[in-house]
Amino acid sequence: MSGSEILSTLLGSEVRGDLLVLFHRNPGLIDTVDGVARRIGRTTIAVISEVRELLVLGVLKQKRIGASEVVFLDRAKDRELLESVANHLKTVRIGGEK
Amino acid sequence: MMQMSMRIGESSWTNPHGNVESAPRPLGPDQRFAAEKQFSFVLVSTVREAVGNALGRNVLEILTSKGLLDDASNLKEFDRKLELLFGNGAVVLERIVVKDLNRKLGIRYDSEAGFDYEKSLETARETCFMESRLK
Repeated sequence: MSGSEILSTLLGSEVRGDLLVLFHRNPGLIDTVDGVARRIGRTTIAVISEVRELLVLGVLKQKRIGASEVVFLDRAKDRELLESVANHLKTVRIGGEK
Repeated sequence: MMQMSMRIGESSWTNPHGNVESAPRPLGPDQRFAAEKQFSFVLVSTVREAVGNALGRNVLEILTSKGLLDDASNLKEFDRKLELLFGNGAVVLERIVVKDLNRKLGIRYDSEAGFDYEKSLETARETCFMESRLK
């Protein structure tokens, strides 16, 4: 997947943007989808498909703790994906580069 | 009676929270300059935080080196650069910026409402100016 495609997936919706901010501000966060939805002030229905996209991309991971399925940030994969995004952005010209 | 109601109309102001308050005194040129500077500072630091929180420090550094944040208070230019870099993702970043900015300034943010970046920042700027006037 190219840096540009990763970027499009990461910023594919407002909810996904909120999820990224939540997990980057709290990189140790482990919570259910319900809990994550509450933390960003959304409904579970609004969040579930967006979490799925981030799981497919690999930035989030899922595991079972007791009776609950929880999601958390895969820090290594996140770093790797953001590195690809950074490399892609280096190649985009916007004028005003130093 | 009409004169009185006109005077009442002139001396009240509806703040961004929807409350009617007595009209603040107008800003002098120095105060206006200071308020502009303060707003610009708050906006740029909010943009930095929003981009950093969403896409990490490396991306933020690249955007800084590309001059994205040199004049973030020039809304049209910032918007243009953001769209060149992020395409459809630009609006997601703008929403994150506005959400953070509104939180800092105590303005309600409605994610269900239609989104206009320039309009949202104009409201934030006005709030910043009003706070300066009330000081």
